[in-house]
Amino acid sequence: METLRADVRAWIAENHPGEPGFKLPQSALEVADDRQFDWLRDWQRKLYDAGYVGAEWPREYGGRGRERGAQRVIDQELARARAPFLLNLVGLSWAGPVILRYGTEAQKRRLIAPLLRADEIWCQGFSEPGAGSDLASLRAKAVRAGDAFQIDGHKVWTTLGRYADWCILLARTDPDAVKHAGISYFLAPMKIPGVEVLPLVKMTGEGGFNQVIWTDARIPADALLGREGQGWEIATATLQFERGAAEGSAGGSGGGGEQVGRVAALARALARDADPVVRDRLADFWIRETALRANAQRARVAGLLSDRPEALPLMQKLTASELTQALADFACELEGDAAGLWIDDPGAIENADWQRSYMNSFAMTIAGGTSEILRNILGERALGLPKTR
Amino acid sequence: MNPQIRYSEEQALLRGEARRWLDERFPIARVRELAESEAGEDPLDWKQLAGLGWLGLVVPESFGGAQLGATDLAVLMEETGRRLLPSPLLPSTLAALALVTDGSDAQRKRFLPAIAAGEIRAVYAGSASVWGASSADALIVPRGGGLEIVERSSGGLETAPEIVLDRTRRSARVTRNGVALGADAPSDRLAAMACLALAAEMAGGADALLALTCAYAATREQFGKPIGSFQAVKHPLVNVLIGVESLRSLVYAAATAFDANSPDAETLARMAKALACDVYVFAASRAVQLHGGYGFTLDCDAHLYLKRAQASRPAFGDAMAQRRWLADRLPGAAPL
Ligand SMILES: Cc1cc2nc3c(=O)[nH]c(=O)nc-3n(C[C@H](O)[C@H](O)[C@H](O)COP(=O)(O)OP(=O)(O)OC[C@H]3O[C@@H](n4cnc5c(N)ncnc54)[C@H](O)[C@@H]3O)c2cc1C
Repeated sequence: METLRADVRAWIAENHPGEPGFKLPQSALEVADDRQFDWLRDWQRKLYDAGYVGAEWPREYGGRGRERGAQRVIDQELARARAPFLLNLVGLSWAGPVILRYGTEAQKRRLIAPLLRADEIWCQGFSEPGAGSDLASLRAKAVRAGDAFQIDGHKVWTTLGRYADWCILLARTDPDAVKHAGISYFLAPMKIPGVEVLPLVKMTGEGGFNQVIWTDARIPADALLGREGQGWEIATATLQFERGAAEGSAGGSGGGGEQVGRVAALARALARDADPVVRDRLADFWIRETALRANAQRARVAGLLSDRPEALPLMQKLTASELTQALADFACELEGDAAGLWIDDPGAIENADWQRSYMNSFAMTIAGGTSEILRNILGERALGLPKTR
Repeated sequence: MNPQIRYSEEQALLRGEARRWLDERFPIARVRELAESEAGEDPLDWKQLAGLGWLGLVVPESFGGAQLGATDLAVLMEETGRRLLPSPLLPSTLAALALVTDGSDAQRKRFLPAIAAGEIRAVYAGSASVWGASSADALIVPRGGGLEIVERSSGGLETAPEIVLDRTRRSARVTRNGVALGADAPSDRLAAMACLALAAEMAGGADALLALTCAYAATREQFGKPIGSFQAVKHPLVNVLIGVESLRSLVYAAATAFDANSPDAETLARMAKALACDVYVFAASRAVQLHGGYGFTLDCDAHLYLKRAQASRPAFGDAMAQRRWLADRLPGAAPL
């Protein structure tokens, strides 16, 4: 592993693409124009060709077949070098792992390699206007018609939808079954007749997510993942990957957890680092950030999980997103008057990166299960409290 | 700083054994009984602790101890914290640690074997108010980078029991020839080990509170449902959970760092102590609150922990003091 770490470090030193000369999004959730998209796609390809994407995935599907833990080392080094993020987030971290787990041999052979190389981009069609936190109430329909399913439905908040070639799509195949039981899971092509993608604009002014309207769209029968009616189970597994409660990502999830140093440097640059209130807050953030990483460490120590095995994996996304939000908020507060300035104003600090981070942080406290929903789940699964109704 | 955590089969065994024994020996009814008693402890328990080898847990083998590491210490302290162990095991363990870290050869030779065997009761004395002082034969006092040992048999030593909030842990005001006993600042390592041991104990207490409150929330019904199904009850309990689990992770990370001689050990130990103060008090306050009217009574166990939490907070530096120390060492910002 230490050789791998050194190799990655040397490779990044040589190949770090630097700044592109235009504004990059802060994460894959905000990719909004073709220039950003092309640049980020090139970066993922380059990393893949170097062997750093899909490091632990099986060789026969285009992975690198390395030992367990290799991807974490690679991701850590990429994060440390502040390398750009990986574009194909949904594919690498959520869709890919479930295809590996539930897919047929043909599905794996067809889909995995292009996903790793960003040759094909993935999006997630779970949410609907009437089915967010209560995902199981979704209404999109999939009706079997010979060798195909006919899809009709309205999906919303679809990240990367505009660029996606494939969609992990939840739709109801049995309208008579009880809520969870009638749902099926599809690996649906996006570039087909009957699929309309309508962009939405975020409060930062950035694009990145969309509505997707499916009207009489015909997808082949072998787009079904798992069995008919198994959709809820696979969706739950997907959410485990999305929330970081299960490991298996092909890359790009090593970032985060080292923000306090940046905020401390900001306080110093603004000559606010002698203020005892500021110092106390920073120390508190440092404790929370370190605890977050210690939690991730402990989650891998089997003997220390026995009391509440569910707790640590389920906590990660919730605690990380709330800490990120609180830190960005604090950084904005530190900026004083400049906190009111926005991108491209000459007086903006770090080109308003913290303002943008703060607003974008809501993506992480809402998407993939809101913090409120995650607290419900933790209370029920880790603490054994009765269900909220 | 990248926290590492190691935990062995032996530590799992130690935890299991400790938990079983403490559960059997210290059911809450007995803890209450001892808390009501004059002395606050039962001398028989001390004999048993010696028999279990716990008094010599951190004492080197060459001095008759078990020579276990910081990780084992954390495991044991966490378990005693769950049961609010009414016995001066912690101040005695800190005394042994002080001798191991900062004692002279002569001091170690004379005291460590006797401490491990339970023949001499020594307690760590970092200030004039000392845990376990009333029943102690010797006080181990940080002095000029080393230790001074004040023995009761030397005469002139007076211990006046304090009237304490937490009656499961007794302390006394100590004077020598009529003058309050002072101490110098302990060595960095000793201070950090004390933070670690106490933080581990506090983690155990907070974890026990969480279990106590969850059990109540799952059974107590109002409006025709168990109160634990209401989010206004469930969500603060999850916040306690997050605090407790984060604290435990920091405790194990600090302990692992000590055992690996990592330079991060002191930082992690102080982080753990800071978090322990906040988490334990929060867990206890939610426990009282969520037990409702019953929670406000002496009958409910929550207050026993609340008092332990409040009384543990100032020892070896409260959260504010720890954060002040940490603020000088923030990543990305050089000390002022
Ligand atoms: C940036 C971003 C990207 C996203 N990307 C995708 C994507 O690619 N694909 C996709 O399918 N979806 C995506 N989503 C959708 C996301 O999963 C949903 O927004 C989320 O699940 C919440 O659903 P909702 O927006 O309908 O809010 P609602 O469910 O209407 O919730 C509104 C508020 O009520 C609270 N609430 C609801 N129910 C409860 C309850 N039982 N207990 C307590 N509080 C409750 C919520 O916590 C929230 O605060 C994305 C969202 C965001 C913000």
